[in-house]
Amino acid sequence: MSSSASSSWFRPLAGLSPTRARRLWALSFILPIALWCVVSYVPFVWHPMLRVSDAGDLDWVTVGELAPRADVERDNRALVAKGGHPAVGTPANPPFLPAPHEVARALVTGFTTPPFRADEPWLHQSLWHSVTVIFWGFLISSVVGVPLGILCGALPAMARLTEPFIEFFRYLPAPAFGALAVAVLGIEDAPKIAIIVIGTFFQQVLVIANTTRRIDPALLEAAQTLGASPRHLLWRVVVPGVITEVYTDMRVLLGWAWTYLIVAELIGVSSGITFFINQQAKYRAYDRVFASIIVIGLVGLFTDLVLASLGRQLFPWLRTSKRGWLSQALARRGRAARAAEAVAAKEAARA
Amino acid sequence: MIDMIETPETLSLPSYREQEPRVAERFAKLRQRPVILDVQALEKRFTTADGETVVALDRVSFQAHRREFLCVIGPSGCGKSTLARLVAGLEPCSGGRVLLDGKPVDGPGSDRGMVFQGYTLFPWLTVLKNVMFGLEVSQGMSTSSAEQEARQWLDLVGLSKFAASYPHELSGGMKQRVAIARALANRPRILLMDEPFGALDAQTRAQMQSYLLQIWREVDITIVFITHDLDEAVYLADRILILDAHPGRVRELMEVAVPRPRHPTQFLSPTFVAARRHLEELIHPPVEVATEALPLRRMTVVGDDVE
Repeated sequence: MSSSASSSWFRPLAGLSPTRARRLWALSFILPIALWCVVSYVPFVWHPMLRVSDAGDLDWVTVGELAPRADVERDNRALVAKGGHPAVGTPANPPFLPAPHEVARALVTGFTTPPFRADEPWLHQSLWHSVTVIFWGFLISSVVGVPLGILCGALPAMARLTEPFIEFFRYLPAPAFGALAVAVLGIEDAPKIAIIVIGTFFQQVLVIANTTRRIDPALLEAAQTLGASPRHLLWRVVVPGVITEVYTDMRVLLGWAWTYLIVAELIGVSSGITFFINQQAKYRAYDRVFASIIVIGLVGLFTDLVLASLGRQLFPWLRTSKRGWLSQALARRGRAARAAEAVAAKEAARA
Repeated sequence: MIDMIETPETLSLPSYREQEPRVAERFAKLRQRPVILDVQALEKRFTTADGETVVALDRVSFQAHRREFLCVIGPSGCGKSTLARLVAGLEPCSGGRVLLDGKPVDGPGSDRGMVFQGYTLFPWLTVLKNVMFGLEVSQGMSTSSAEQEARQWLDLVGLSKFAASYPHELSGGMKQRVAIARALANRPRILLMDEPFGALDAQTRAQMQSYLLQIWREVDITIVFITHDLDEAVYLADRILILDAHPGRVRELMEVAVPRPRHPTQFLSPTFVAARRHLEELIHPPVEVATEALPLRRMTVVGDDVE
C-alpha cells in the first residue's frame, strides 16, 4: 500500500477502494463478535461465576451449580485456614451471557427444535407472525403517509393545514395508545398493527414532507417554461424528482417500525417474536433469546440489502453502469428465448 | 478568449456605429420585421430583511423583432437574470408589462422557452424523454408522435446517438444542447437563455456558441441571451442591450456592426474590436486603479528573480 493510500484513512471524506470497503464492512461485524468471544472464552476476563466440579467442605454449594466466584473464594480461604477442603470449579459467565458457540447452535437448531410446550409457536411461526404485523402496519401507514407527505412538501397550504397537528401528535408515545387500541380493536393483531401505524405514520409524513421540500426548484421552473400545469408539476416533476429520496426514507422508517413492533406485541395477547423471546427467558434458555434477537437483526439487515438492491433496479438513472441485475436477467431470458426460437426454426427448416 | 487586446491609443479603430452597407441593410430589414417581444417600463422592487426597498430593475423598456438575436449584458447586480425571469413569467413584476406578440404575459408558458445556466434536465428521464416532456405536457401530443418530433430535435443538435442516455452520462456541453433541443421542441416564440454557457470551459463554450448560431439560422426563433462575457455578446448578437447596475436601467441598445455570418476569425477584426471596446467602456469605465505596493519582504534568495 502506498503512503498516500494509507494516509487517506484520516483524510475527511476520502474515498475508499471497493476492496477496502468490503473488508471494513466485514470487520464491523467481526469486531463486536471478537469482543464477545474474548469475554466468553478467556477465563480471566470477567467470568464472575464458578461452575462447581467438587464442593469440597463448602456446605452451601453443590456440584454442577453456578456460584458467585468471589463468595466461594472468600469462604475457601476461611476453609483452608481451618484445614478444610476448598471447593473447586471452572470460572463461568452468568447464564444470561451465553457463549457465541452456544448461540450459534441455538440459531441453527432454533428452527428445528420444537417449542417446550406443544401449544406454543415455533421460532419461525413467531417470526412470520411478527413480519405480517409489521407488513400490515407499515403498509397502512405508507398508503396514507407517503402521498400526504409528498403533498405537504409540495403544497405549502397543505403543510400549514396538517403539519402543526402532526408535529404535536408525534410527541405522543405510541405505546401510550395501547390500552385504547385494545379497547377499540380487541386483543388480537389489530391493536398491534394500530400501534405500529401510530408510531410510524406521523414521523413518516414529516420526514417525507421535508424530503419533498428539498427538490431542486430550478427543475420546477424549467418544467413551467415548458408549459407544465400545476398537476403536471406535481405528477411529472415533484413525484419522480423526490421518489429516490423518499425510498431511502422508507428504508429508515421501516427500521423504526421494528422498534414499535416489540412494544406492540406486548399489547393484548402477547404474540410474535416478542412472545417467543419472553417464553425462552422464562425457561432460562438465554442462548435461544440471543438467537431470536440475532434473527430479528438478520431479517432487518437482509430486508434492507434487498431493498437497496431493488432501489438500484427501480431507479436506473442513479446507476453508473448501463444495466442492473434485473434488466440483465430479462435480457438473458430474451436471448435464451430467441436462441430457442432459432433452433426451432432450423429444425423446422430441416424437416 | 481575448481578454486584453493590444490596442494602443494610436491604433485607429472605426466607430462602433459605423456599418458596412450590407450590415446597414440587414438592420433596416430587421427593424421592419414584426415586434415579437415588447418590454414596457418593466420594474422589479423587493424588500430586504432590513426593510429596505431595493430596485432591481427600473423602467426597463426594449423591443425584440422576429428572428433577432438580442444579447443582454451588464455588470453584476444589474438585474439581467431578473429580467429574463420576469419575461419568462417565473417572478411577478412590480410595474410595467411584457407583451409577447402584442398580448400581455402572465406567468410562465410554453411560448417562452428558457435555457438556464444550471442544466435543469430531469435526471430521471432519458435524453429523449427530456425533449419529449414539453411536447407531452403543453402540446398534449401522444407518446409516439412526441417521440418522433423529439428525435428530429435531437438530430438537429447532433445528439441522436445519446437518446437513451441519462443526463448524468453527458458532458456539460451535451447537457446544454439537450436543454436547447428541449426548449425549442415546444416551438416557443422566443428563447430566453440565462448565461447558458457560463459553467462551461472556454473551448466548449466556443463550440456551443457556434452550434447556437447554426441552430438560430435554421429555426424560426427569436433569442434573448443573457451573458456577462463581452466577446460572447459581440460574437452572437444582432443588438446588445446594455444595463446599468443599482438600479438596473437601460444604458444603451447597441447595434453590432460585425457582419454575418459570424466566425471566430472576426474576433480580431476592427469592427469587432471597436464594438467590444465600446462595451468595455460602458461596463467597466476606465478608472484609475491605484495599486498600492504590498508590504512584502523578500522571501527568496538573491538573484532568484522572476521578472
